[in-house]
Amino acid sequence: MPGIPTNYFLILSAILFTIGVCGVLTRRNGITIFMSIELMVNAVNLTFVAYARQFHSLHGLIFVFFVMAIAAAEAAVGLAIFIALYHHRDTIDVDEANLMHW
Amino acid sequence: MVELAVFFVFAAVAVIFALVVILHRNPVVSALSLVASFFALAVMYVLLEAPFLAALQVIVYAGAIMVLFLFVIMLLNLQHQREETTRPIQQALGYVFSAAFGIGLIFYLIKYAWIRAEQTTPFNSDARAIGIRLFEAYVFPFEMVSILLLAAIVGALLLSQRTDLRGRPTTGVDHPSGQNPEGAAASPRTGQPSFDAGQPSPAAASRRADPHHEGAK
Amino acid sequence: MIPEPLMRYLVWPTVKFLVAFVIVQVVVAAMTYIERRVLAFMQARLGPNRVGPWGLFQAIADPVKLMLKEDIVPANAEKVGYFLGPMLPLIPAFVVFCLIPFGPPPTFVVTHVNVGLLLILALTSTGVYGIILGGWASNNKFSLMGGLRSAAQMVSYEVPFGLSIVGVLMLTGSFDLVRIVRYQESHAWNVLPQLVGCFIFLVAMTAENNRAPFDLPEAESELVAGFHTEYSGMKFAFYFLAEYAAMLVNSCLMVSLFFGGWSLGGVIMGRQVGLTTVNLQHLGLLGGVIGATIFLVKVMLFMVAYIWFRGTFPRFRFDQFMDLGLKWMIPLSLVNIVVTGILILAGAGTRYPAMGEVVLTLFGIVVIAAVILFLMKGPKPKARPAGVAHARRVSEV
Repeated sequence: MPGIPTNYFLILSAILFTIGVCGVLTRRNGITIFMSIELMVNAVNLTFVAYARQFHSLHGLIFVFFVMAIAAAEAAVGLAIFIALYHHRDTIDVDEANLMHW
Repeated sequence: MVELAVFFVFAAVAVIFALVVILHRNPVVSALSLVASFFALAVMYVLLEAPFLAALQVIVYAGAIMVLFLFVIMLLNLQHQREETTRPIQQALGYVFSAAFGIGLIFYLIKYAWIRAEQTTPFNSDARAIGIRLFEAYVFPFEMVSILLLAAIVGALLLSQRTDLRGRPTTGVDHPSGQNPEGAAASPRTGQPSFDAGQPSPAAASRRADPHHEGAK
Repeated sequence: MIPEPLMRYLVWPTVKFLVAFVIVQVVVAAMTYIERRVLAFMQARLGPNRVGPWGLFQAIADPVKLMLKEDIVPANAEKVGYFLGPMLPLIPAFVVFCLIPFGPPPTFVVTHVNVGLLLILALTSTGVYGIILGGWASNNKFSLMGGLRSAAQMVSYEVPFGLSIVGVLMLTGSFDLVRIVRYQESHAWNVLPQLVGCFIFLVAMTAENNRAPFDLPEAESELVAGFHTEYSGMKFAFYFLAEYAAMLVNSCLMVSLFFGGWSLGGVIMGRQVGLTTVNLQHLGLLGGVIGATIFLVKVMLFMVAYIWFRGTFPRFRFDQFMDLGLKWMIPLSLVNIVVTGILILAGAGTRYPAMGEVVLTLFGIVVIAAVILFLMKGPKPKARPAGVAHARRVSEV
């Protein structure tokens, strides 16, 4: 709606992205790190939509569409990797995943 | 006015639940908070005149991806596994670096990317407009994404197979309900624990199957 | 005097929503009675017949009993999650009722949203969180397994559920349920050209609601009571209410998408025949009430169909159930989309634009006939484990 300046959305997006970065840097649980990455992806999506509205361009929205599709693929593969890790290590602590091959 | 109030309420919801995601020790709580945060983001999309994307956000993220996360967390029984905290130096560096990053980002936004001309005309972003654009200008990326999704299906299937030391699958595709304890007898076809582990093999069973069956063959 | 925009955007929607809310409560209470009576009829029993005439007051006695029951909280439960679990599925189930047009506009449409159908899909897909949360917070293995199964089930059947609607969207070209219903007046009920889509929708909606034969999250022979093992009293009643409200939502969707919504008639040769939207709107409020009644009758038919399934089909095994969703329903719905698209385009090019829909109807009949024939043939006779053979011999004696 015209009432809200686009800048507000951009700042909200920046805050969410920062929280995501913080989660990736400070946590050890693989799935929580993964969720932080999803949070960052969503922050970027918000930026895309905000700029798309600002410049009346559908390209940003289509980018969000692609990002969502790729996030779904990423979630499937990433979670499968964590399941495989758990089967071999009995933990999903990313510090334990220190071998290139098992 | 009302819109501004809605924006601030849901922005607060998004940020608070995002903080819960990274601060809470229990992954189930983290996942559920992330869902709440995504809902608040869907409200943001509605405020940005993109209701189609808001619906997609809820369907794809809340309806599918996060259910998958919760499913895996519960499947691996992670909620009882206490996560060790990272080393203090790593914690401190992480917070400092991300705070610096965030401050830098917002500073950059305010200094260089501040938008002064506000948009007042309505923005047409319905499904028809997006669909036409998607299938005209973006056909090639669209097809690439479908191939990527196919690759992801195959990859996920391959990765979640339980393999032995030589890399061969042991119980077939890992079954969603089959929380087979290691070494439990599982029938190779279904991945379910078979109920007649001590019984003779199916071939032997068929030899002494009931007479009607024998006749049918 | 209340200013006009406030009336239009706040008061009327609230009143309409409250009416819809009360109707949902009444229907759910009635369903408890109807379900038990119909099931009893199918199993050659009597069912509840003691409280009031024909046992009708059973519908009141049941909720009263649940309200007065002791509310037990397991000692090791996660308190917040245990408390939130039964509440969460209620929210989407009731919000969705604001988006469904119960009768001809404007009276019986609570809110008119451009992407109404998508929003309904989005909201119904979030009802599963309450089940997952409750199953996890109970701190009980069976509850957890129930929640786990529910998650897997929801993710797998969300896809055919959404894809089965796409055919309807392609025919009508709109996400707006009012326009979809009005399209069906000027053409035919979507169930004809979208027979396959309707069939998939029927299966997927039963699976989404955790209803028999797909009630694996609460399969009593395997998981005690599944995700609500630890719940009692009013909390259990909330799960119950949410399940029936979700059933009602899906039945409403079924009727709106495939069975003509509130209308009973059509536009033939440019003339309004029977109870179409235009004719109902001429009658004013009375027409609205008639339309809503027709809608409710159609919806109740599908609610009874749920009970019919429960009384007829044995429960699926979990792997068979997943196979059905992922290996049969998804490919079938994709084929349906492709065929629908081709035939719409082919029909649009000819002198008879309805030809595509006629061929689609034929296609649907052929596919459904093939499925029925395949099911009647049954699986190939396989060698059974010795124990099963023995059990059969005993039963034959």
